Parts: sequence; C-alpha cells; structure tokens
Amino acid sequence: MTRAATPKLGAYAGLAGAGLLAALVLGRPELAALAAPFATLLVVGLSLAETPRLSAVLELEPERQVQGEAVELELELRSETRVSRLEVLLDLPEGLVAETPNPQLLRLHAGERRDLQHLIRCERWGAHLVGELVLRAHDPFGLLVFEQTLDLRRPLKVYPRGEVLQKLLRPLETQAFAGNQLPRTKGEGIEFADLRPFVPGDRVRRVNWRATARRGAPWVNETHPERNADVVIFLDTFAEARRHGESTLDYAVHAAATLAVHYMREKDRVGLVAFGGVLNWLTASSGIGQLYRVLDSLLDAEIFLSYAWKGVDLLPVRTLPPQSLVLALTPLLDERSVRALLDLRARGFDLAVIEISPVPFAPPGTQELDDLAHRLWLLRRDALRSRYLRLGVPVVEWREGAPLQAALEEVRTFRRHARVTRA
Amino acid sequence: MAAGVAVSPLARDSHDWALLLLLGGGGVLALGVGLAARWGAALAFGVGLLGAEQAVRLARGPAELDPWTPLYACAFLLVAELAWWSLEQRVPAWAEWGLALRRLVTVLLACAGGCVTAALIVIAAGLPIQGGFGLELAGVAAATAALAVVAGVARTHVR
Repeated sequence: MTRAATPKLGAYAGLAGAGLLAALVLGRPELAALAAPFATLLVVGLSLAETPRLSAVLELEPERQVQGEAVELELELRSETRVSRLEVLLDLPEGLVAETPNPQLLRLHAGERRDLQHLIRCERWGAHLVGELVLRAHDPFGLLVFEQTLDLRRPLKVYPRGEVLQKLLRPLETQAFAGNQLPRTKGEGIEFADLRPFVPGDRVRRVNWRATARRGAPWVNETHPERNADVVIFLDTFAEARRHGESTLDYAVHAAATLAVHYMREKDRVGLVAFGGVLNWLTASSGIGQLYRVLDSLLDAEIFLSYAWKGVDLLPVRTLPPQSLVLALTPLLDERSVRALLDLRARGFDLAVIEISPVPFAPPGTQELDDLAHRLWLLRRDALRSRYLRLGVPVVEWREGAPLQAALEEVRTFRRHARVTRA
Repeated sequence: MAAGVAVSPLARDSHDWALLLLLGGGGVLALGVGLAARWGAALAFGVGLLGAEQAVRLARGPAELDPWTPLYACAFLLVAELAWWSLEQRVPAWAEWGLALRRLVTVLLACAGGCVTAALIVIAAGLPIQGGFGLELAGVAAATAALAVVAGVARTHVR
C-alpha cells in the first residue's frame, strides 16, 4: 500500500505558513486566526489518517463464455481498518466492458466485509485475464491518498460467436469411420444410391419389391455408407488488414469457429493449422474435447510479424491427413500463404479458399495516384484468384456483412461444374 | 462564496478599494481558472490572494481587533474545502449516497471548528497582555514548531 500526500496538503500547509508569517510581519493577530483553521485541519486530519489494510477475494462465473454474452464477477472486500472513502476500480483488458458502474466508491468500517457484483460483457473473443483490482483510499479530510493494486486475475476464455450454417461443404473423399457424410462409393447405409440386380449373398431386406415386380426379376437397393471426413481449417496468420478495431483475422477466427463446430457436429474429424509468423497446429480429431482444443487454439491466434520464409513442409505429416478437405481462411495478403496454398493444391489436397476480403479495410485514397494504385492492387488480386481457379481451387471472396453460408454455396457451385484432375 | 469573501472587505473599507478589488478579483479569477482547468496550484493561489486582500485591509485599517475574523476564517476554509472537493477525480457511481452527505457534514464541522479556533485566537489576542521581543520570539517559535509538526506528520514514505 503506497501513501502519498495530495496537493491539498501542501497548499494548506503553505496557506497556514503564509498566514502565520503575515501575522508576525504585519502585527495583526487576525491573520493568525485566519491561518489557524488550516493548520488545525492539517494536524487533526493527519493524526486521524491510518493506513488501510485491505484484502479481497474474486470469483468469476462462468470462466468460458461466448462473444457478446456477459459474465458475473463477485468481489469480496475485507478491511481491517476504517476507510472513509475507498475507490475500487476493476482494470479490465481490452475487449471486455463493465456494464455495472466501474469504479465504485465505498465506505468501510473496521472489520467490515463487503460484496460487490460486476457484470462484464465480452465484446471481443480471446483469452483474457480478469481481476486486476486497483484500490485508492482517502483519509476523511482528503490530505493523504493510499493506493494498492491487487492481482486476483482469473482466466476468462471468450469464444467467437459462430453463425448457423444450413449446409456444409462436402469433401470429395471420405474416411473409413462412421459419420454423416455420403461418399461416392456404395456400401451399407441408409441413403439410397442405386438399383442393381440381385446376386447371391444379398440380404432379402434389400430387395426393392416395386422394381422387382416391374422387371420380373429381383432387384436390390444399393446405399451410400455414412462416413466421416477429415477437415483441416487452414488459418492464415501472416498478415491482416485492420480498420476501426476490426480486422480480417477477427472474421477468419469467426469463420473457423463456425466451421469447426458444424463439422464436428457431423462427426467429422477437424484439425487446425495456424500458418503465420508462429506455426500452430492441431491434428485432426473429433469429439467435444477436440472442439474445445480447436476453439482454445483459435483464441491464441494473432499476427506475429516475421520475415522468415515458411512452407507447408514445416508441418508434421499427420497435420494434413491424405484425402482431407482443407478450408483455407486467408486475406491473400502475404506471398508465403499464397505459395503454401498452391503447394497444397499441387500435393493433391482437396482445397477451398475463402478469401477474407481486405478491400473494405483499405479504401482508395483521395488523390488520383492513390486511386490508381488501389485499382492496380484490385487487379492484382483478381489475377491471383484466376491463378487459383485455373488450378481448380475454388476461391470465394467473403466480405463483412455477408453470411458465411453464401461463401460456402459459391464454393459448392464451383465444384459442381469443375472436375478435379490429377496428373 | 469566494466572490462574497472578496467583496466584503470592499464594503467595509473604501479607502484602498482599487488594491482590494485587484486582490479580490484576482483571487476569484484564480479560483475560477483552477476549477475550470482542474489546476490545484491556481486554487491555492486564489485562496492566498483572498487572504492577501484581508491582510491589506487589516494592515491599512484601524488597530482594533476585527470581531468578524472567525467568520472570515470559516468562510476561507469552506471556500478551500469546496474548491478542492470539486477537483477530486469523479467516480461515476456512488455505491453509497450517504458518502456525499457525510463528506459535506465533515466539511461543515471542520469549518465550525475553524471558526471556534479563530475565535479563541482573537479572544486571546484581545487579552491585556503586554507584548515585547520575548513574546514575539515565542510566537515565531510556535509558528515554526506548528509547521514542523505538520511536516513531520505529513512525511510521506512508501511502503
């Protein structure tokens, strides 16, 4: 607990001294009488001031929340001494906003315990530490100020709020495990695939009696088996475009969280690669534990400035399972991520690129030259997209305000009319 | 209130009204600047100028003790307390509304106590005790000791 004199103390001491001196110099006792209250207040105030002894206990509920929702913080303050005026400030990190008044002003008696409740709204996703408490106490006459900072920080994970997707992007290939995807192959399943003539060994329950009656010979139903798929979410963290507190990374994380939740709900295995200044990866897996691992990894996603050249060969082989669907979320600003995606396509991965458009974050300038540069930049981006399209990689521009479902529909439309060729 | 403290010497003494007006007006102006700019030094300067106005009036006025001194002392302290209260950082929410009332009562009690202290000093000054160098020396020593006590109690140390 630090103790410091307020400017008022110095001013009162100065006024008292000046009054007493003037009384002696001018020989007027009235001036001493005018100065006496200031001096008396100083002596009485300083004598009554005592250093506060404060302690606090903090609880946060819940410790995980979704962006836009609120958490409750309960603070229990204890004082061993009397505190006339105590200011309690909860120092919140960026992205969290207190909905209850902050700071608060209290008066505590000796031995008193006071409970305070704060409602904190989670404005931005991320991993935060909440609970740095700044206490400032004053003596009754405002001559001294006592300050103390209590570190009671608790972790708070704020997950990005996802969208609701009606339809997901179907991978070209599936895996051997049970899931909700319909592969192109036929096998034991529920979804109807085709009809064929009965062969010895087919189950009687598979006989399609209507077709059999029409053709005069037994015909059976063929079905698609339900399989799961491997989906790898490729997050470009080399560069971002930022404006007014929002950035392309925010949208990328939002989309990544949405896709991860929906694909895992379909029993698919989801992995994550954060490809940037710092490489971060999660091998594909399924289940609620994997979902939280993916979401926790997304909370750590941030842009680290790096000039080192990186390629996908730095990633462990298990990170990119063969025949997996790779969904790349990238603003296509950094050459390294562009090359990495082209490399993935060359290695035969089923790749789809959702371009988090940086164009709204970089408006054209007012000068003619700035406008020309902006148009050249847009043309370069179009050329880059054409390069991907020529290689059979769907590239969809996703802008703020547009639903993610619309971007996925564009990819689906491209894949319906394109064919994957392998050399 | 500061304006009232500044104007009252003018009403009581019309000889040096220009100088009193200058000091009183300057004091009120300095207080206004201090409150507007949240500048504590200007507040101290403003109260000091109002005190200087009283000093000039007393120095140029009659030798008799001014019986209104305790009231002036109370008013000075009240002006200073309210001015510094206005400069304190505002807390957007008051968890207890009684805190403001309690603070006001404390200020008023302090001013009342100041008034009593000033009255005692005026009464003591009016006693028929002969002065002299020894008494003046005792006065200087008492004033120095008082300030030394204040400085000692106000010694700031970081814990």
